[in-house]
Amino acid sequence: MPDRRSFLGGLLAATSLATTSWAAAGGPAYLAAARGSDGSHALIGLDGAGEIAFDIPLPARGHAAAAHPSVAEAVAIARRPGTYGIVLDCRTGAVKTRIEAPRGRHFYGHGAFSQDGTRLYTPENVIDTGEGRIGIWSREAGYARLGDVASGGIGPHEILRIPGSTRLVIANGGIRTHPDSGREKLNLDTMAPNLTVMSEAGEILDQAALEEDWHQNSLRHISAAPDGRVACAFQWQGDLYDPAPLVAVYHPGRGLDVLDVPEGRLMAMNGYAGSVAFFDGDRRIAVTSPRGSVLQVYDAVTGFVSQMPQEDVCGVAPGAAGAMCTDGLGRVGRIGVTGVEPLARHPLAFDNHLVALPV
Amino acid sequence: MRKTPTPLAPLIAAGATALMMATGPALGAGLDDVVTGHILPGHAAFAERTAALADTAAAECTGPATQEAYHAAFDAWMGISHIQFGPIEDLNLSLSIAYWPDPKNRTGKALARLVADEDPIAQDRTAYSEVSIAAQGLFALERLLYDPAFSSGPYVCALTATVAGALADTAGELADAWPDYAELLTNPGPDNPVYPTEADAARKVYTALYTGLEFDRDTRLGRPLGTYDRPRPNRAEARLSERSQRNVELSLAALNQLADLLATDPAPRTSAAFAAARRRVSELDDPVFAGVADPMSRFRIEALQQEVRDIQTEMATEIGTALGVTAGFNAMDGD
Repeated sequence: MPDRRSFLGGLLAATSLATTSWAAAGGPAYLAAARGSDGSHALIGLDGAGEIAFDIPLPARGHAAAAHPSVAEAVAIARRPGTYGIVLDCRTGAVKTRIEAPRGRHFYGHGAFSQDGTRLYTPENVIDTGEGRIGIWSREAGYARLGDVASGGIGPHEILRIPGSTRLVIANGGIRTHPDSGREKLNLDTMAPNLTVMSEAGEILDQAALEEDWHQNSLRHISAAPDGRVACAFQWQGDLYDPAPLVAVYHPGRGLDVLDVPEGRLMAMNGYAGSVAFFDGDRRIAVTSPRGSVLQVYDAVTGFVSQMPQEDVCGVAPGAAGAMCTDGLGRVGRIGVTGVEPLARHPLAFDNHLVALPV
Repeated sequence: MRKTPTPLAPLIAAGATALMMATGPALGAGLDDVVTGHILPGHAAFAERTAALADTAAAECTGPATQEAYHAAFDAWMGISHIQFGPIEDLNLSLSIAYWPDPKNRTGKALARLVADEDPIAQDRTAYSEVSIAAQGLFALERLLYDPAFSSGPYVCALTATVAGALADTAGELADAWPDYAELLTNPGPDNPVYPTEADAARKVYTALYTGLEFDRDTRLGRPLGTYDRPRPNRAEARLSERSQRNVELSLAALNQLADLLATDPAPRTSAAFAAARRRVSELDDPVFAGVADPMSRFRIEALQQEVRDIQTEMATEIGTALGVTAGFNAMDGD
């Protein structure tokens, strides 16, 4: 029988969780940016069945979002080369505050929280030099900027925290762009993408890259498992008819292992992986190619397992059974063995990423 | 052949929503015609011509009759090479039929290895699908029939017959699989796991059409064109058998037919754009696009490339919009 103090403490904690937790936000399981049929932009909360839990307007096209580890709060981060970040209360849809990339910087659409939820990390481009930085923001201080550290490469794109740890992983895509020349790629001859593992204090702990022949293979998207493995999805900038592999797994201390894939299946990706997710107990990996309109499933050790067609598919995240995917036609589906089982369809175009929320 | 617009057509012209079009009856009619007038006969023709090629190659190896049968089979392939969805995707057969572009000469290397080793797989038509896909299909046959590096001898003779036989088997497998898939494509509905609405089915066909034009433009024309400073005539498709120009002619003819069948409203600007590009390619008189390296003739191939782009533009407006199809939100994103 608990004593009175711990009972009250427990009651208080339960009350506070009940009012601020993700469960209080309508039980969303996922976040995704989307464009509405009227051209407006929003951050959408989806439940496990693919139905809409909430719908919060965004001022311009989103990309992905960083979900707070315990509080129903998300930061929607502007698509490259946007500069806004909007901190949303996912229970009410209220904008809690905004962040703005410092002068001369822009965001890449991704961000991640520290394990204790007190800090937000945002990949950024120093526009004049092309240097990749990771901005650090204090949630406790109303998302005041604390400073920034080197990302370990050019074009830092997705950042994640390895679940259950204080280690961050960063996909440095290697491609330099400048807002004055739009999305034009300025350094294809010399690009050198890498995966960087970093402490929450900003110290680089490890870096890994593919062999030199594949230096034009831009690492953009990643998925992290609690054991420290990182599934890596690439975008090939070389000849589409002489493609590099697009899926690899990082093992701590051992670098990147490219996953086997039959040539015809590699070609079907059209040189472009849009999103990646571990699922099935982190034994399998789903990757999407909106350019090939296919989704592929890999075994994390033995490689390619299956391919299924899905028009304009991009967002992918682990689900209760299998994995979930979203596409530009507003569909939410569950990835099965041979095909995508439709769950729901909304009058929306889901943007690149589907972010699984803390359970 | 132009079909009579259905009663829904005026609604579409008046700007009905994409959702209304998605549920209207007009699209289904277009899809039936696409299947019965284009996809099924195209696959049947490819299966027949490759079977004939296999018979001829078995009888006379690499002689002129085999070359003629090879051209007939390749002609038939150009009638359906843009149908890259359905069985060809499910069975992963695309590259084992047509392994091109091949910037690293994998076909030449894979065949040279088989010949050097006198690999006994050359005697086994059934097991041949296990060899490198670069050593299979039409482009492997082209090497064996036209590349002087593979002078005829008993081994090359047997290999040619086996490659042709395995290609015929693949074409047969594809033709056999299509009727079942056609049922899916032409019967959209809530219980259809692949095409829950007619708009989904129409979008699939439209995307194949659009991507086919893109392949003609960027790959069949774009790869040999290279850049003005660095033209790449050696990259022309099927140049050993001098089919580069012919393939674009036949591809545009097939895509034109598909567009006519798919469109449920008159699409005069699309038709005119097809006619202009088809006229230009037929008048090129440059079988392997050697002209890309000569500034005087290069501009005609560049103009053809522009005309294929014009077809895409007109088609997007006249056919794509009516089908509620726009370029992929994520496919165009590039992040």
